[in-house]
Amino acid sequence: MRVLFAGLVLAIAAPAFCQNTGQSQFVSTCSACHQVTGKGIKGAFPALAGDPFVLGDPQALIATVLNGRGGMPAWKGELDDAQMATTITYIRSAWGNAAAPVTAAMVAAERAKTAPTTTQSLQAH
Amino acid sequence: MALSRRTFIEKLAVVGGMSLAMAGMEALGFGFASAQAAPPTLTGRGKGTKVVVLGAGLAGMTAAYELTKAGYEVQVIEARSFAGGRCQSARKGFTHTDLIGNTQVCDFDEGLYINHGPWRIPYHHRSTLHYTKLFGVALESFVNDNDASYVYMEKGAGPLTGKAIRKGQIASDMRGYAAELMAKAAAKGGLDLPLTPDDRNKFIAYLVSQGRLSPKTLAYGPTEGRGFDIPHGAGVDPGPGKLSSPFALADVIHSDTWKALEPLGDHEQQLTMLQPVGGMDHLAKGFERHVGQLIRYDTEVQKLVQDDKGVEVFVTGKDGKTGSIKADYCICTIPLSVLRNLDIAVTAPFKAAMAGPAYAAVNKIGLQMKRRFWEEDHFIYGGHITTDIPGIGSISLPSTGWQGQKGVLLGYYAFGAEAARISAKSPADRAAFAVAAGQKVFPQYAESFETAFSFSWHLAQYNLGGWAEWSEDARATAYPVLCEPNGRLYLAGEHLSYLGGWQAGAIESAWQQIGRLHARVNAA
Repeated sequence: MRVLFAGLVLAIAAPAFCQNTGQSQFVSTCSACHQVTGKGIKGAFPALAGDPFVLGDPQALIATVLNGRGGMPAWKGELDDAQMATTITYIRSAWGNAAAPVTAAMVAAERAKTAPTTTQSLQAH
Repeated sequence: MALSRRTFIEKLAVVGGMSLAMAGMEALGFGFASAQAAPPTLTGRGKGTKVVVLGAGLAGMTAAYELTKAGYEVQVIEARSFAGGRCQSARKGFTHTDLIGNTQVCDFDEGLYINHGPWRIPYHHRSTLHYTKLFGVALESFVNDNDASYVYMEKGAGPLTGKAIRKGQIASDMRGYAAELMAKAAAKGGLDLPLTPDDRNKFIAYLVSQGRLSPKTLAYGPTEGRGFDIPHGAGVDPGPGKLSSPFALADVIHSDTWKALEPLGDHEQQLTMLQPVGGMDHLAKGFERHVGQLIRYDTEVQKLVQDDKGVEVFVTGKDGKTGSIKADYCICTIPLSVLRNLDIAVTAPFKAAMAGPAYAAVNKIGLQMKRRFWEEDHFIYGGHITTDIPGIGSISLPSTGWQGQKGVLLGYYAFGAEAARISAKSPADRAAFAVAAGQKVFPQYAESFETAFSFSWHLAQYNLGGWAEWSEDARATAYPVLCEPNGRLYLAGEHLSYLGGWQAGAIESAWQQIGRLHARVNAA
């Protein structure tokens, strides 16, 4: 892959994920695995579209996004309460999903229950 | 009935596992040092016993190599068209398609490569080093720490924020100031030291030495150890040169740069390490030279059934043809991230335990630079740039090809959420992201960049993550279950070791399981 870019380096200096809409947040944060279609990848990453867990108990869903599960990393150090609420609200309402929105206050309440982030070693493996 | 040595050892293995058997062998003078240093000695019967090994990574090839030597009939099933598992290196022509569908063909210049999987070996991973020596894999030094390399922190505060600063300067200042404070307090009797006055003076002498303090004033100040603003040299000009001045203590503290000074908190991280000359995959190729004929490539495992007589593994070839392999036992090295999605006949508790560990999202990117500006302009020969730029983790400079024309550096090595985020980008955008970040540290970065190869282990089919991550809870409950055989199935790999993510973990896990399998075969 040979990439020739003169202007591109400057162009990306302001990253696209400064935007804070649920969709753009989802695309930059979650779509590598769950795909922009929300369909995931069979045998690897679960679909979010039509998924009972996504549409179900918001507390369990928030806790999973905060702390990670299986192959999914913990997002508590990356997304603040408002960003997480916007993103989760998006996945509960996109692709035909229709579940109640999640508020920043709900995320904050779940976050208060999680263990604090431990200091990570700078080097691993 | 007299107990023969062999029977005794087998009984030890059955009762106490391989480590006890090995301790017993040690006591009886069979003479190998530890489970970590050498493979188990598989004396006794192996001949005629069929073992199917799933996965031709280091764990699988270790098992195949050692079992074959002991007379077992081994077949290895490998989903990829090449052996090595995560032990891969990308060089010209290496092709990878990730789960999103991005296909990259590496087009580094001849002789250049990136180890996008394992890349460094500590001196005490004697298992890995056992095979590099056995297979004649040439090693060279890997610079894992370098005082000349930069620390670049942009999330802190104060005048050092957003500046590339040599790690050695930060180290000198923080150690100097800390030593000064302690030495002065100790000299005044201000520290409640359990020391005699004579011992106290020796302790102060130690602090003077550590902090490069003035022995008279106990003050930290400009020292040769910290380096020069004008390097000393010949004649009277530059002659003695001019020493650099320490940063203010508060400035260093506010800058977060001191975070780069973490001690060797992880036993695996040593100041200097080792790497195979020309790429880590030379280790995989060393194994492959010996067991390659046993490997069935391009063959995916779909299903495993077993009863008290044997196992049967159902597979699909690249051509879509299905088939099955029967064997007496199975050693399965497929990562749990993948295995838990397959149809494997195991007990319910074992199946549940397979869900135990998380798998790490891990990104790496190799950037080919047309000029080794880090050596030529910055005098940095290997080591890591520590930074808090999100998604970068560290930038690492190659420990090979010194003073050559071009080089491939590691543009990011990031984990977890940051890695997942960057991996959503196209390969071209990942490269652009990495180059823009490196440009903050080195003014020559973007103008020197030629081509990139990026890899995201969580997006790699057959891996779905860089390594297993065990929570304390899962380590206590699920891990011991998976370390036991389930019927005729034995799991092996880095995920079944406390050396997670290291090749030594894969090798030593395989050693342990074949040792137990062999004891069982001989006890039967």
